[in-house]
Amino acid sequence: MSATPAVSVNHLTKVFKGSLGKGAFRAVHDVSLTVQAGEVYGLIGPNGSGKSTTMKVILGLLSPTSGDTSIFGVPSTEVASRHSVGFLPENPYFYKHLNGRETLHFYGKLCGMSGAKLKSRAEEMLALTGLEDAATRRVGGYSKGMLQRLGLAQALIHEPQLLVLDEPTAGVDPAGSRIIRDLIIEFRTRGITVLVTSHLLEQMQEVCDRVGIMAHGRMVREGRLNELIAVENQTEMVLENASPDLLAKIDALVKAEGGGTRLLRSGHPRTTLERLFLEATNAPKEP
Amino acid sequence: MSTASPSTTAVSVAPVRFSPQRVWTLAYATMTQLMRMKILPFLLLFCVLVAAMGFGFSVINPEQQLSQFKTMSLGVLQVFSIVFGIVSTALLLPKDLEDRTLYTILSKPVPRFDYILGKLLGVLMLIASGLVIIDALLSLILWMQQSVLFDSAVAQLHTEKQDTPEVVAQMREIVARQGLTWNLHWAVWAIFLKAAVVTTVALLLSCIASSTLFTIVITFCITIIGHGHAMIREFVFQPNLGSTATRTATFLLAAICPDLAQFDIVDSVANGEIVPWAAVYEMTGIAALYMTVYLFVTHLVFVEKEL
Repeated sequence: MSATPAVSVNHLTKVFKGSLGKGAFRAVHDVSLTVQAGEVYGLIGPNGSGKSTTMKVILGLLSPTSGDTSIFGVPSTEVASRHSVGFLPENPYFYKHLNGRETLHFYGKLCGMSGAKLKSRAEEMLALTGLEDAATRRVGGYSKGMLQRLGLAQALIHEPQLLVLDEPTAGVDPAGSRIIRDLIIEFRTRGITVLVTSHLLEQMQEVCDRVGIMAHGRMVREGRLNELIAVENQTEMVLENASPDLLAKIDALVKAEGGGTRLLRSGHPRTTLERLFLEATNAPKEP
Repeated sequence: MSTASPSTTAVSVAPVRFSPQRVWTLAYATMTQLMRMKILPFLLLFCVLVAAMGFGFSVINPEQQLSQFKTMSLGVLQVFSIVFGIVSTALLLPKDLEDRTLYTILSKPVPRFDYILGKLLGVLMLIASGLVIIDALLSLILWMQQSVLFDSAVAQLHTEKQDTPEVVAQMREIVARQGLTWNLHWAVWAIFLKAAVVTTVALLLSCIASSTLFTIVITFCITIIGHGHAMIREFVFQPNLGSTATRTATFLLAAICPDLAQFDIVDSVANGEIVPWAAVYEMTGIAALYMTVYLFVTHLVFVEKEL
């Protein structure tokens, strides 16, 4: 793994100038973060917290008012930094007159790819994102989930080491959302660094190694996910096929221990509504 | 919070250079995008109208009829190419921004200059394609009209018993001068050059403005002013006219707006005048100069634009 961080943001501040009597707006205030190569980093926060602005500065779409950002050590202000990054914006649209395969060829050519290499890479990406059957359909007829997957495919076309995903599951149904999450996990196994934003915290919890929480343009918390969400003074045990007698014994043991030890709750753990939905909708059709 | 690495660790890599292949990819995508916006059927409809117009004039005399046909068809062609150039260019950038296609393109190793040049070339390629088709059609109509009119004029002379070899030769010369000559193609080339300059102005304005309507309206205003450039220059260099402030403002206007009258050879061509090669070179050079300057300013604006 490279010692150079995949993304480095140093004391980034972004102020948008006001127009015609409107005051200036500080979207990001002194934010610093580092994404190590190979990890999945989640940037979370409410609307208007500065996540997208931070991402745009990282990608060189916006220039910082102060501070600096770099991708694998190359300043974001240099076009060359984009060789190693793929970007999926929120709710992407592509040229409707192109089909899925042509769209990937278009983006590949922009990255300087051509010939057999481009063709095979496009086919590989179509297979990875499950769009092989829709490769010859016009993008104008794609569903939202398919557009997101095509967005992922175009972001990966030039084999970047870093993926920047802005709300990759926004507006996608749970099944499509699950596919995208599985892809993110696969990217990590392939050694691709992922910087992702989402409002769906449960999803972020499933895929992220580290998270940064932004609010009002500032980074308010940052760290490894497991460390951030662990409740230090509580211990969780999940038993399978435990008899009422065993549970009573455990309860008695806890009470006998005394001091500050207490059994806070016991009962059947619940599955998530999303898991229930996926199980129900993926069941085979009855004849 | 983890500590970010200091900026001094920045790695230096080879800069991304201008790539004609990348520009061509963008230009081709732009052209097909515009074609899908139902521009081509409109173009074909226009061709059909022009063709119908060619046969619709009442016969006055062969010379007048051919001249009238060229004036009308080239005039409509001029308006069409300018309107198409302005409207399509004004729509392209905001649409790419609204659809976030611009983000996916510029987050690839694509210099912003390559992007704007690709967009401009895409529009110009479509205008050029349309003009080539219409030029071919006009040439065909003019050639057919020329033959038909000459034959009918000779038949008329024969009826009036005035078909002496001298009169017939004179008639042939008149019809040939007003018929299909290289001048028609130069007129179409001048129309393309004017549309290209106006399209580059529209591209510059669409990089500055946030509204498509603003870009369209202001570019139309500049186009109108550009046709009266000579009058503006005359006003600026007349010391006795207007206040200093007015003359300074007028001077700025003259500096900003292109002199589009430089490309007005349609009337000369319609009147059967010969367009010299030197005039064609001059027009082409002026258009190239205007486009280079406007494109350079567009680059300066777009490279700093916050997306």
